[in-house]
Amino acid sequence: MLPWVYEFHWTVFHITFLLVFFSVFVVIVTTVVMAMRRTQQAEQQNKIDSILWHSDFEDLPPKARVCRHELSGEVKNRMCDNGFDCRSCKVHTFLVSQQHEPHSVQFETYGFTMPPYRLYHRGHAWVQEEKDGTYKIGIDDFGTRIIGRAQSIELPEIGTHLSVNGKGMLVRKQNAEIRILSPIDGKVVEQGDAEKGWLLKVKPDNKEKVTAHLLKGDEVPNWIMREMERLQISFATSGVGATLADGGELVPDFHKHYPKADWDSVLGQMFLEA
Amino acid sequence: MDKKLIPRGLQRTSFTKFLLWVLPWTALLAFGTYAIYLCLAEGLFHTNMDNRFAFGIWIFLDLTVIALGAGAFFTGFLLYILKRKELKAVINSAVVIGLICYTGAMLVLMVDVGQPLRALFTFWHPNTHSILTEVTFCLTCYLIVLIIEYVPIVLKNRQLRQIPKFLVFEFQLHKLMPVIAGIGTFLSFFHQGSLGGLFGVLRGRPFAFREELGIWPSTFFLFVISAAAAGPSFIMLTTWLVEKITKKRLVKPSVYKFLGKVSGIMLIAYVLLKSIDTFIWINSTSPGNGFPAFEFYATRSFGTWILFTEIVTLGLLPALVLLSSRLRENRKLLFGAGFMVCCGIMLNRFVMTIQTLALPTLPFDEFLTYMPSWEEVATFLFVIAYGVLLYSFTFRYSTLFPQERELEYMPDEQSSKEFANSAGERSWWQPRFVTNFINRIASSKL
Repeated sequence: MLPWVYEFHWTVFHITFLLVFFSVFVVIVTTVVMAMRRTQQAEQQNKIDSILWHSDFEDLPPKARVCRHELSGEVKNRMCDNGFDCRSCKVHTFLVSQQHEPHSVQFETYGFTMPPYRLYHRGHAWVQEEKDGTYKIGIDDFGTRIIGRAQSIELPEIGTHLSVNGKGMLVRKQNAEIRILSPIDGKVVEQGDAEKGWLLKVKPDNKEKVTAHLLKGDEVPNWIMREMERLQISFATSGVGATLADGGELVPDFHKHYPKADWDSVLGQMFLEA
Repeated sequence: MDKKLIPRGLQRTSFTKFLLWVLPWTALLAFGTYAIYLCLAEGLFHTNMDNRFAFGIWIFLDLTVIALGAGAFFTGFLLYILKRKELKAVINSAVVIGLICYTGAMLVLMVDVGQPLRALFTFWHPNTHSILTEVTFCLTCYLIVLIIEYVPIVLKNRQLRQIPKFLVFEFQLHKLMPVIAGIGTFLSFFHQGSLGGLFGVLRGRPFAFREELGIWPSTFFLFVISAAAAGPSFIMLTTWLVEKITKKRLVKPSVYKFLGKVSGIMLIAYVLLKSIDTFIWINSTSPGNGFPAFEFYATRSFGTWILFTEIVTLGLLPALVLLSSRLRENRKLLFGAGFMVCCGIMLNRFVMTIQTLALPTLPFDEFLTYMPSWEEVATFLFVIAYGVLLYSFTFRYSTLFPQERELEYMPDEQSSKEFANSAGERSWWQPRFVTNFINRIASSKL
């Protein structure tokens, strides 16, 4: 294999063969080393949450990745390839600049209470701006009804920094453990609870574009309708057969009515966790 | 604990049933291990090979599995380099099958060498005049590539991805996959080709010897193209088999049809080149070496029927089926053609190894027969058992088919409709009477 071993001759063929072989070997080794180095860098830069989300997002079925502009009827058959982060999406920027009509305001959507003054994340968290510049965060009505009565909700400590699509909070329910994605970037300044009607209060990092990626207005009813469809699919695959009739409303504490369903799978699919 | 290892949202059989499935394969693995032990500890006299019949069932099946495992590199090439996204649905399975085929082949080669610890000599003291040196180098590198491609599939396991280091490493490795796929394609091209070239350079075996195109004999290119044709068909068949065993739908019908089409295109190219090659060999190469080509087909065992079967029955026929969009609509024809492609490749590798060695070349030579010993057969059964076990565990605890979740909801009728909806039009190369004939076959119940 090496020039000084066994019948090696300084001919074009021998040299080319060795060069090609070693180049291949070097590329393989370099690729693995590069992956290891990037792993180390990502850990140091605390990018694990973001990578976890991207990994989960890659595994989402097409029905869960529909672009918000398809929800609002502006475009057809468009899938999000940006991890639901519209802030850096050029198509979103363009389409927003074309919008003229004001968004409709509905309080009730398919039986869910979705106040128009709140903004909604695709992972079923809502965000509401406060006068002091902070934002309240909670789980939306759809998410609350699926989870029902949670065994515990683990909230991040005050001072913790949250990033969009990173882990926001952890909900435990029987055998299932579900992380709710953080809808915005910012620092936790106060913890809430169910009685207060919100779970976290967050001070955003940057005032600009802090909620540009969140759903609002016309997008919300269409999104909820598709979420109902997804819920129906997730139930059909979790071994309980047909459950939701078209046109029906989701009862509160849905979980209680179908205790035998594979809730770990249903909650994972609905809260976008692989 | 078992349930926590299964990917979220995927339905798998109970652990007890899984153990019952695993048990007979483990027994077969143990039986194979014993045979391997005998060959390695006591010597190669346990085989029925000798100095004249040095390539037996091991090399024949090695060449076959390496050709069938080509689906890994070819699918990777189509997905990562040519960006055929539909193949994302089977890439993980293709990688596992490739890994099984190549590790299995390497293992059998180690036993075949007799002294596996001396495998290092291949690298340290390579015979620079041997085409096998290139094969060894490429196979080793490609095996490393396959392991690198397999690692992310394992690390994607639900529990393993909870460990941040594994999660990030898997993610980063996945991002670099086009580089790995490119290297895999390069290596596969050369080792698949060199395995064919190996026979083409045998001057002392005029049945296999072929003229050179550039620095390589024509068999170099024929092996590459035939492997690229068989690989997608084998993925199609294995996926279908897993669907039957698990009673699940794992990929959309369009993926099967695409694999069939790719296989058909490569196969027709192969049949064409093989026919030209055979024509030149019959009329020029073989007579030029003093052997009328049909003398090689004078024995009863290997008559001209074998050539006809290889090129027409298991080559041209399945190629025509796979090239016709109308015929691909019929599942039985599609999978039947895929099966024929795999059998065709197997027959080709059999002809190149066994027939080449069995035929006499010197005036005092006689037609040789060879029957593998039980140890040789058991060693190969080891590979099959190992393959089934590795695939079963990977299927249970990782996501091999990303469309599985989605398809679990899709009713059967919708899936069949999707199969029918993508019915194609008449291909440009088909005369109308051929189309009518094909349509009649497609609409008949088989």
